[in-house]
Amino acid sequence: MTSMLPKVEVEKQAQARSPFQDGFKSFRKNKIAVIGTIIVAFFVFLAVFGPWIAPQGVNEQNFKLKLLSPSASHWFGTDDFGRDIFSRVILGARLSLAVGFFSVIISIIVGSILGIIAGYYGRWVDTIISRIFDIILAFPSILLAIAIVTVLGPSLRNALIAIAIVNVPNFGRLIRSKVLSIKEEEYITAAKAIGMKDSRILFTHVLPNSMTPIIVQGTLAIATAIIEAAALGFLGLGARAPDPEWGKMLSDARIYLVNAPWTMIFPGLAIMLTVLGFNLMGDGLRDAFDPKMKS
Amino acid sequence: MKKKSLMFFLLLILVLSTALAACGGDKKESGKDADSSKEKTLVFGRGADSVKLDPAAVTDGESLGVAKNIFETLINFGEESTELVPGLATKWDTSDDGLQYTFELEKGVKFQDGTDFNAEAVVKNFERWMSGNAESTPYFQSMFGGFKGEKNAVIKEVKADGEDKVVITLFRAQAPFLKNLAMTPFSIASPTAFEKFGKDFYKNPVGTGPFTFVSWKRNDSITLEKYKDYRIEGLPKLDKVIFRSIPENSARLNALTTGDIDLADGINPTDAKAIESNDKLQLFKRPSMNVGYLGMTVTRKPFDDKKVRQAVNYAIDKQGLVDAFYEGQATVATNAMPPVITGFNEEIDAYPYDPAKAKALLKEAGYDGKEIELWAMPVPRPYMPDGQKMAEAIQKNLEDVGMKSKIVNYEWGTYLEKAAKGEADAFLLGWTGDNGDADNFLYTLLDEDSIGSNNYTFFKNSKTHKLLKDAQIEVDEAKREKLYKEAQVILHDEAPWVPLAYSTPLIAGIKEITGFKPHPTGSDRFDTIDIK
Repeated sequence: MTSMLPKVEVEKQAQARSPFQDGFKSFRKNKIAVIGTIIVAFFVFLAVFGPWIAPQGVNEQNFKLKLLSPSASHWFGTDDFGRDIFSRVILGARLSLAVGFFSVIISIIVGSILGIIAGYYGRWVDTIISRIFDIILAFPSILLAIAIVTVLGPSLRNALIAIAIVNVPNFGRLIRSKVLSIKEEEYITAAKAIGMKDSRILFTHVLPNSMTPIIVQGTLAIATAIIEAAALGFLGLGARAPDPEWGKMLSDARIYLVNAPWTMIFPGLAIMLTVLGFNLMGDGLRDAFDPKMKS
Repeated sequence: MKKKSLMFFLLLILVLSTALAACGGDKKESGKDADSSKEKTLVFGRGADSVKLDPAAVTDGESLGVAKNIFETLINFGEESTELVPGLATKWDTSDDGLQYTFELEKGVKFQDGTDFNAEAVVKNFERWMSGNAESTPYFQSMFGGFKGEKNAVIKEVKADGEDKVVITLFRAQAPFLKNLAMTPFSIASPTAFEKFGKDFYKNPVGTGPFTFVSWKRNDSITLEKYKDYRIEGLPKLDKVIFRSIPENSARLNALTTGDIDLADGINPTDAKAIESNDKLQLFKRPSMNVGYLGMTVTRKPFDDKKVRQAVNYAIDKQGLVDAFYEGQATVATNAMPPVITGFNEEIDAYPYDPAKAKALLKEAGYDGKEIELWAMPVPRPYMPDGQKMAEAIQKNLEDVGMKSKIVNYEWGTYLEKAAKGEADAFLLGWTGDNGDADNFLYTLLDEDSIGSNNYTFFKNSKTHKLLKDAQIEVDEAKREKLYKEAQVILHDEAPWVPLAYSTPLIAGIKEITGFKPHPTGSDRFDTIDIK
């Protein structure tokens, strides 16, 4: 018996590697997906190295320079405080990406745990967890996020938490359905037969095998999360002054829509590009890794 | 677990529904009534609806602005000043000791419901105010000391002397007595109407003014119609005035450009240029009689220390703020009252912008670097067009001298309520004078008697208290001015505020409007307005 086990693992790994390589190959062939990845990489680069790239700080106010149109010294112009919009857009990348990334990570962790429990144990546990997911999904996501932020108090951190909560059921459901099918696989039955503990089965067999759809869904969810964070910022429920969060910059600039449109255009473009990047990349990943799409 | 989550979601639903209810602003499109051939209608757009149309029962500007066109006072303010001119009283005399006032009333005036206006009607109005309480006639208490039988009451007795003469006797002299009487809250209402309607008088206002009340759609519009037997021949020139509530400044301006309304107040300074260059519109400037300020609650740390308050005064770049957010429609404030008001001390200069000095003072005071809460006004007001942005700039100014702050927002009603209780560390606010007297600024905003009402800083000083109290009963104008000037010197040194700006509020209207003269108190009379 004991000598059988490693063999099973080796076999499983060998099988798992090749579809992944397949997927990666087809992903690389997909030009649009590659463009998306480049855009994302660009913004990740800005997020990491922003402070060294940006010509100015976040909050260097100078009323003498207020609302200047784009020029050589201020590429994106200046806002109503005389701050350099180019610098603020660059420095804002870190905030938006951080909110997008970490809120999705939290959603994935919480959603996976709940989804695995629901899917694996079934019966009343499944009923309770699934109904909770249904209830959360019954609310329009941005409305629910607004309600949560209202309760917690407006701040970027609370916006992140709210977005994470709103996205939990998406991942929960995904994992649950995946677990339901994996549960019936022979290797799980085998694991049960040799007396493996539930927790070990869940985390060493079930979870790794449900990861692919999570990664695909996660990439797309980051895009949504960035939009939601910007929306909350726009409504005054996310980032606080003087944080250069893009949604907040849009909201601050809205009275200058006619007189100084550059105050709106550049943060708006930044949001659009990042979201586009994540969406293209996510679509590419799905095409490459989702078995249903390969035919 | 199921029960708990159920509770949580019930709570969520509750929160959501309240949030939704709050969002449900009425945006019904009433527009202009179909113009019947020659009828002249003026639609006035403003930021909020009136509370009550009984001037005696309110203190808010939007109620008084409408009431000023339905009712009249015994004495009027000048067209563009707070100088006193005859109103329903044609003449008045003051006894030498300042304790007795005799008013001669205009003859042959009738209220809009046909009741005769005479001495008896005036007496009945005074009786109504004097026997009221803080809730029914709030402004009476703060302007005239108190109600009948109360210790601080100023008015002893109001008597009719024949048909056209009223004699008012006071317990003690009150310098701004006549100015107070000229305030819209002390308009003369039809006794028949307020006796008949009682509590509901505010829905059925009847006065002697140029316009009669027609209808009121809550949160939407108030319609007034020309009073045909108005006492002044040829006025009013308009047939109809409609007051419409449009809360957003930009939406209101938009309604003006599209022709939905004819006149709009609360114009953003940033939009001034666009209006001036639009040949279909004109820009009106209201004479400045206000002050926008940053208050520091002196009962809270670190602002219990005078040096910290002075440091904040040095730290803030007032000229920068005025240039950035008022677009030249304001000047830097130096005192707690604007320069148009008698008794203004022009020898006081604003604290200069001096971050180094501010840092030194903070160090001297032993400020521990604790983060403060900086409250930002959620609504645009004439004295401060954008509280949020002002707060952001001030936050940066304070950060530069080592004082960290967090910007806090509340809904407007909550903001005022909480600030009045002294819950803010530092807060943005302002004040528009109601009667053009120094008392209405210094005493109302910074005296210990006003703590809990309009003194949000909880500032208390025995010297200024004595000066302000003395000034109230000092009848000699020159001596009175001196008292106020002295009080301002102390207030400048004690620095409970950072006075920020004296602003010029902007109003925009269509080109066809003539004869509109914005009044410094913020309540305008529409009887002289005409549309070409």
